[in-house]
Amino acid sequence: MRRPALVRRERPLRGGQPLAFAVGLVVALAVGYVLLVMAGHEPMRVYQRMWEKSLSDSDAWSLTLNRAVPLGLAGLAVAVAGSMGLWNIGAEGQILAGAMGAAWVARIGETWSGPVLITAMLAAAFLAGGALALVPAVARARIGVNEIITTLMLNEIALRLVQWLIHGPWKDPESHNFPLTPMLPDQAKLPTLFGRAHWGVVIAGAVILVFAVAASRTGWGYELRVAGSSAETARYAGISLKRKILTVLLLSGAVAGLAGGVELSGTADRLTEGISNGFGYAGIIVAALALLRPSGVAFVALLFGAVQVGGQSIQIIGVSASVSTILQAFILFGAIGAGVLSRYEVRLVAGRAGAEEGAAA
Amino acid sequence: MEEEVGESLATPAVELVDIWKRFPGVVANAGAHLRVRGGTVHAVLGENGAGKSTLVNVLSGVYRPDEGEVRLGGMPYRFRTPADALAAGIGMVHQEFRLVPSFTVAENVVLGAAKRVLRRGDLEERVGELGRRFGLATEPDRPVWQLSMGERQRVEILKALWRDARILILDEPTAVLTPAEAEELGEVLRHMADDGRSVIFISHKLHEVTGFCDEATVLRGGETVAASLPVAETDAATLAGLMVGATPLTNERPPSRTPGEVRLGVSGLRALGDRGLEAVGGVDLEVRSGEIVGIAGVAGNGQRELAQVVAGLRPATSGTVTLDGADMTGAPPRARFAAGLAYIPEDRLGVGLAPRLSVVENSVLRTYRGQRRGPFLSGSRMAAHCRDLVERFGVRTGPLGDPIAGLSGGNLQRLLVGRELSGRPSVVVAAQPTRGLDVQGVKAIQNLLVAERDAGTAVLLISEDLDELLTIADRLLVLHDGSIAGEFDPASAERHAIGEAMVGQAPETAP
Repeated sequence: MRRPALVRRERPLRGGQPLAFAVGLVVALAVGYVLLVMAGHEPMRVYQRMWEKSLSDSDAWSLTLNRAVPLGLAGLAVAVAGSMGLWNIGAEGQILAGAMGAAWVARIGETWSGPVLITAMLAAAFLAGGALALVPAVARARIGVNEIITTLMLNEIALRLVQWLIHGPWKDPESHNFPLTPMLPDQAKLPTLFGRAHWGVVIAGAVILVFAVAASRTGWGYELRVAGSSAETARYAGISLKRKILTVLLLSGAVAGLAGGVELSGTADRLTEGISNGFGYAGIIVAALALLRPSGVAFVALLFGAVQVGGQSIQIIGVSASVSTILQAFILFGAIGAGVLSRYEVRLVAGRAGAEEGAAA
Repeated sequence: MEEEVGESLATPAVELVDIWKRFPGVVANAGAHLRVRGGTVHAVLGENGAGKSTLVNVLSGVYRPDEGEVRLGGMPYRFRTPADALAAGIGMVHQEFRLVPSFTVAENVVLGAAKRVLRRGDLEERVGELGRRFGLATEPDRPVWQLSMGERQRVEILKALWRDARILILDEPTAVLTPAEAEELGEVLRHMADDGRSVIFISHKLHEVTGFCDEATVLRGGETVAASLPVAETDAATLAGLMVGATPLTNERPPSRTPGEVRLGVSGLRALGDRGLEAVGGVDLEVRSGEIVGIAGVAGNGQRELAQVVAGLRPATSGTVTLDGADMTGAPPRARFAAGLAYIPEDRLGVGLAPRLSVVENSVLRTYRGQRRGPFLSGSRMAAHCRDLVERFGVRTGPLGDPIAGLSGGNLQRLLVGRELSGRPSVVVAAQPTRGLDVQGVKAIQNLLVAERDAGTAVLLISEDLDELLTIADRLLVLHDGSIAGEFDPASAERHAIGEAMVGQAPETAP
């Protein structure tokens, strides 16, 4: 009897990942099609509207780019840690920490000029995100505590901190008891670039570029790759693993924190508990699909930005925005499945059966 | 099969007949035989690479033999999976334990083998009873993470007994045990044999074999060189001789040169192994400029740890390591490399080379700090360095930007050795540098080491291949149980004397 089995290819297919990505997209659209039909919608009309509202003109692009900014920075944060084999699941909390840091600077710097205030806010966001990653980073580097658990748990703590601030000390006295902070002063908002796109697009693009170059062209990035490939080899080459773990996790947290600062200053009017909107978790998917490469992160973040913006636009025609979440999930599934096929091939092999000749022979 | 019922006593419980197993580039079993009688403890002996593990993996269903037959109680069997073998009553205790640390002893024992839901109390009761029957003292309600290595091994043995294994295979079971624990294990195995079961005991510690085994089968080069020797009628020296063989030297020894000053000095060196037991127990040695000092020994006698301590990858608990007279005992690996120490580690891929990185990236592992322009690495200089290594050391490779894991073992080693030697070292520590390579690869690496010696480098060569050491080493030290058990002149030494020192049978011989 023969059965199909996955057999490792001698070398992965060239261009396998973009291909896998395209397959994922097609799978997602096909599954979405079926779901939309089942929900009583016209799939092509829904997809057309998603396309128009996210990618068809410069106005749509400006929204997509804005959405891609936190996704890209969060994805970069996860990818930087991931390239060393570390998983920062705490980008969500670090985004909140960054937003809190930026909001705090906006409160104390109300009188500062725009450029100074915004720079200070983003710096504070960067530091606050790093600060939230400090405990997991030190614990991992010094005594080997699993960073997945610690970073994940800190998400909850960051969320509670935001809730406490907006219900308590930072609540707007004129908000009629709603849990809202005052609006940001105008000079604390990132200037617009075109359409509704703000300067965060440039900032995120620059940060991603810096990391892409650092990861592929510098000794620092090289050491990161060695350590990510084999900790023993890193020790052999005299690379200090502890220091690498520490700096990488702190940087990862800081980049996620920056996403929170940019989101606050660019898109939100005030600090809310929903300011992150799951960007930190989506960032994990973005990083995974980008194979932990900074350049790939930019591309995947754009696509996810478009899917999310498109997903919001179809609410007006009575379709749940969850459609976009479902699409994102199936892009991931499809791409992971197709990614496996770029490394393995399906072959028929001799089937597995019990012992043919047994004691009865 | 015309045998009578009365013959069943003579029918061996296990027979492996003319087993052949080939892997790419190596024949692991070349017509190996094994006959184990019921109710005995049977030792399988052999040096590393003799084919012991392959042979028992054929029996336990992990490998399917290319040719040959497995018979249990005279009946032919063909196992497709380890589960088939287990169902036929064959249990295996691997060197690495397969236990769930957070589960209790009883839970681990029945994991995957409970036919119905059992009450915890009943379960612990029955596991405890099984242990008492075979003299395996355990506390069934203790979680496994609290147990010592010896206790964990007992749990593994209980797992096999719970599944009613009639044939129990133990792969180097005493490697992780203290001497007292090893003694106890011997008694347990005796109990099981007295119960009518067969125990197959893989080892290269001869005193254990003579201590509690009934018969011994010796493998060398994938073949059975002695089958079912009654242990009572043989002695450790005979077994040692069988293990290492008596093939006369046919290899031409490259001419030695007069050694110069001491480059590498090791004095009173002690270090712990991975399990926290002492692995290096007071080693003194010197390697001079222009000589190859060989370290012989059966695997697991401290060679790996000794190399790691010298390279700076394992801390010394006492003693010193000096390079060109300078104390390097506490120096990090990078400082030692800078001081002229090249290290060819036992694990090529995973220590010496990073598997997912490209050929170029791996070729600059030691020198990338010198390939910088500002913060940036110079891609062209790295590539040039890599091309130079590839050409000079004859590395056969695909595109240099491809992951190195795609290279064959011999080419990996050429690149690694080339990279280490290209830094013009004054001392080379090479651990098992030719293990697993084909004949050409072995020769190429040996020639490189000899050429390095002729250029005045001090070479410490750790190898399990005695022929290799006798061919290219200028002096030979035997490591046994973490200390030097003898020094020999490779040009004139008797092989059996070396073999005896390797298994701890010889008195210390003065040079």
